[in-house]
Amino acid sequence: MAKKTYDLLFKLLLIGDSGVGKTCVLFRFSDDAFNTTFISTIGIDFKIKTVELQGKKIKLQIWDTAGQERFHTITTSYYRGAMGIMLVYDITNGKSFENISKWLRNIDEHANEDVERMLLGNKCDMDDKRVVPKGKGEQIAREHGIRFFETSAKANINIEKAFLTLAEDILRKTPVKEPNSENLDISSGGGVTGWKSKCC
Amino acid sequence: MDQSVAVQETLAEGEYCIIAVQGMLCEGDSRQSRLLGLVRHRLEHGGQEYALFLYTHRRMAITGDDVSLDQIVPVSRDFSLEEVSPDGELYILGSDVTVQLDTSELSLVFQLPFGSHTRMFLQEVARACPGFDPATQNPEFQWLSPYRCTELEPELRESQTQRRWNSAAGGSNFDDSRPNGKGLLGDQGSWGQDKPENVFTRQNKSKSDFTNMVRSSTITVSDKAHILSMQKFGLRDTIVKSHLIQKEEDYTYIQNFRFFVGTYNVNGQSPKECLQPWLSDGIQAPDVYCVGFQELDLSKEAFFFHDTPKEEEWFKAVTDALHPDAKYAKVKLIRLVGIMLLLYVKQEHAAYITEVEAETVGTGIMGRMGNKGGVAIRFRFHNTSICVVNSHLAAHTEEYERRNQDYRDICSRMQFCQIDSSLPPLTINKHDVILWLGDLNYRIEELDVEKVKKLIEEKAFQTLYAYDQLKSQVAAKAVFEGFTEGQLTFQPTYKYDTGSDDWDTSEKCRAPAWCDRVLWKGKNITQLSYQSHMALKTSDHKPVSSVFDIGVRVVNEELYRKTLEEIVRSLDKMENANIPSVSLSKREFCFQNVKYMHLQVESFTIHNGQVPCQFEFINKPDEESYCKQWLNANPSRGFLLPDSYIEIELELFVNKTTATKLNSGEDKIEDILVLHLERGKDYFLSVSGNYLPSCFGSPIHTLCYMREPILDLPLETVRELTLMPVQTEDDGSQLEKPMEIPKELWMMVDYLYRNAVQQEDLFQQPGLRSEFEHIRDCLDTGMIDNLSANNHSVAEALLLFLESLPEPVICYSTYHNCLECSGNYTASKQVISTLPTFHKNVFNYLMAFLQELLKNSAKNHLDENILASIFGSLLLRSPAGHQKLEMAEKKKAQEFIHQFLCNSP
Repeated sequence: MAKKTYDLLFKLLLIGDSGVGKTCVLFRFSDDAFNTTFISTIGIDFKIKTVELQGKKIKLQIWDTAGQERFHTITTSYYRGAMGIMLVYDITNGKSFENISKWLRNIDEHANEDVERMLLGNKCDMDDKRVVPKGKGEQIAREHGIRFFETSAKANINIEKAFLTLAEDILRKTPVKEPNSENLDISSGGGVTGWKSKCC
Repeated sequence: MDQSVAVQETLAEGEYCIIAVQGMLCEGDSRQSRLLGLVRHRLEHGGQEYALFLYTHRRMAITGDDVSLDQIVPVSRDFSLEEVSPDGELYILGSDVTVQLDTSELSLVFQLPFGSHTRMFLQEVARACPGFDPATQNPEFQWLSPYRCTELEPELRESQTQRRWNSAAGGSNFDDSRPNGKGLLGDQGSWGQDKPENVFTRQNKSKSDFTNMVRSSTITVSDKAHILSMQKFGLRDTIVKSHLIQKEEDYTYIQNFRFFVGTYNVNGQSPKECLQPWLSDGIQAPDVYCVGFQELDLSKEAFFFHDTPKEEEWFKAVTDALHPDAKYAKVKLIRLVGIMLLLYVKQEHAAYITEVEAETVGTGIMGRMGNKGGVAIRFRFHNTSICVVNSHLAAHTEEYERRNQDYRDICSRMQFCQIDSSLPPLTINKHDVILWLGDLNYRIEELDVEKVKKLIEEKAFQTLYAYDQLKSQVAAKAVFEGFTEGQLTFQPTYKYDTGSDDWDTSEKCRAPAWCDRVLWKGKNITQLSYQSHMALKTSDHKPVSSVFDIGVRVVNEELYRKTLEEIVRSLDKMENANIPSVSLSKREFCFQNVKYMHLQVESFTIHNGQVPCQFEFINKPDEESYCKQWLNANPSRGFLLPDSYIEIELELFVNKTTATKLNSGEDKIEDILVLHLERGKDYFLSVSGNYLPSCFGSPIHTLCYMREPILDLPLETVRELTLMPVQTEDDGSQLEKPMEIPKELWMMVDYLYRNAVQQEDLFQQPGLRSEFEHIRDCLDTGMIDNLSANNHSVAEALLLFLESLPEPVICYSTYHNCLECSGNYTASKQVISTLPTFHKNVFNYLMAFLQELLKNSAKNHLDENILASIFGSLLLRSPAGHQKLEMAEKKKAQEFIHQFLCNSP
């Protein structure tokens, strides 16, 4: 009689060069807040957030990784088990964009084969300092067949959309056992089964 | 009532059914009714045997035709029938008795009705058990064979019948008239195929077309309200739910709905009149109809078979008389013998009716039968839980205590299961709104019939009400506590001559009474009317109706969604706050100028946050330990309470194992440690620094090529020389001519030769740690003139030097050869001659020095044995490592050195 739960847990990972705003992207999504002081992430952090997609409650466990180069060999070991990876660059930092192909190779080498990838060009609120045109981001995303968003954690642009899209893409290829009809029947007593159409 | 009569009819002569009880056979989730008969057989030579006969049965068994033998369980020595408490269920007073039947062949669980009859049955069974007295003969149960299939071969019978007893066989086709087949276990070929449950399905289908039409119509419960009862996420879900309940007022508002509540004791009659005067005349179309009947059918068949055509008749009569201005959907019909309750809602409300459950409680004969008792339907209307009860309580003026008891029994035994089966069943009282209607049967007391009738004539209902038993019982808090009843402004509804408005003229000449009542409990309930309907004359009762406005909590979908989101967000926040998190006083550690065997310590503090946490340095991928060999974290794991802290020391110590690779540059003072919090984050700690190369840990040949002190050489040269292969002979390729032996070795030996040849206990007393560092620095910087140290310290440094050699003086590859020729001095000398030049030089040099020491043995008390045992294990080191060194090998190594000490070269 006990109802089955259809709770899903998706593990997501944020990677990209140091200082592109991975932690801020996560903080905006999980706490809907923004902090201007930069504290380099030295290690692996994570937060959870529950979302509802297609009537299913999904718990997102989002891992934020250290971007500094010297930690790369260690951080790649966290790729395994991630169902979605957000690769972030900074549109005002050309180097962070150039490194995208290196990060993509890292994913190929260390992540699950069927991991869902997404490219984010962060800090899109700082258009005056832009050095990476949107088209370049779109192009590399197209080449690798992955989704692309320009985001701003500071101005809250596309952050939630990016996470929900990634989660949806994962959900789409997650085999979910549909609840059977018994579970849908909310009134085990039979419920309302008829109506009177005509009176004497 | 006594169903043993039916059992008896199936038995052969000489067998007697002592007692029978009807129970439910429980197999997993399935429940099947079985009649259990305890049967006694008297043996010819005296004594008796017993067996339990299990029958499937049609309705309540009255004759042998109603039952069909399913299994026979002989009451043998291994037979036991014991009461058990059902798994995971609290014992409820008055609930069914669960018993387990065990024999060596089978194990069955039954639920037997609560009451004295079951008790008697269990006692009789217990008495029938043969016990374990070895004096009594084992029962043979030959008398049971006629009940089994007789066509079987005798030798097969034993096994076949065993099987048959255990299988659910049954002559299950009740429609067949079986001339004399009563109780014979399954007709050949039919058993095991057509199981008894099929019969019950068939019976359930036998509803009239009318009901089928109603039930299969298109309106179904929409799932719109499902969000109110989300069943997911386990614990988290429970928390969300409880928050939703707490915040209910934030997203709901009260909206009044009109409820019609009616009760009618129809005295076993069929509907003869239109019910509109009762159900719909003079009122607006109500949103909800709760219509209850009592004494729907007074026939024996209804009582025993729980099936009556009256159900359909009255259902149709009510359905036809509902208010013409609205369309209604039937929510539920529940009936217990003559007590029936119908629930309809306006069609547009159907989507908001959820969690519908219906139950019955019999309080009649044996405390269970359905001639008296109650039925109830509970449901959720929008966000308000509502329970409607229709009861027919015990009759007769003086039986008011019995009525009170019936009420209490209904309250305690009426239990509705919840969708979430982990929750305890709901009782009537757990509802926001309770509507209780029925023939409560409370009478008017202390007044004679004439006086009552006179007061009624005067319409002095208030005066009369003072003598109403229900009023006085409620006042005494004996019944219906917390319930309200509207003022009685209509004349008593009982008892009339059928077909008239005349008071009872029968022999009994019953006094008029307000038997038929409507009470309520809950908030936001306004009674709009409470009346009887004299126009209906079918019964000896008049129907009663009451119309209410009931405030129901209706969900504002938008606000609900907002509230839910807020709750989910706050739970996420809570969960995030509960991820263990610490702060570290330091994350970068730099160890400057690390020297051989010089401990350097850096400490830092882990401050814990608000969540207890368990921390541990964890291995990086493909690494065997959490840090390099020369590093150690102390402690490397631990537990921290909220707001507490712990100091961790990082200890850096380079020893013989790690020195060589640091000299060669194959390793560096560089590492990243991963501090992992259980269920939480990982922190990276960076370790960096530089190592000062030392002669300790450097190979012999490397040192021979270093004419300069090692610390005066560029790091690159040290690395190159350290990586140079050991077998490189002097091939002239080196720019500088190598020394014959390492200068550092010469320095130490020369120092000892000059200062310590007569030193007592040389090589046997430990040196000073501080002096070792001084000696190391002198050797590595070449400041030999500055060397001033205790003889023992220098002696120990020499031993440490030999021990730190990555390739021992006797090379690993020569080790086994040496052991083999140990004892043969010539052969031993031969082996030594095969050593690489520098090693050979060192060996000979050391032997010469040791022999020099032995010359002074009178003073320094050294002898060959002592020196052989000290230097044996240093010069000859097993390639397998120290751990595996056996005593015999050690001995041979000593012996090998011993030879060179005794013989001059």
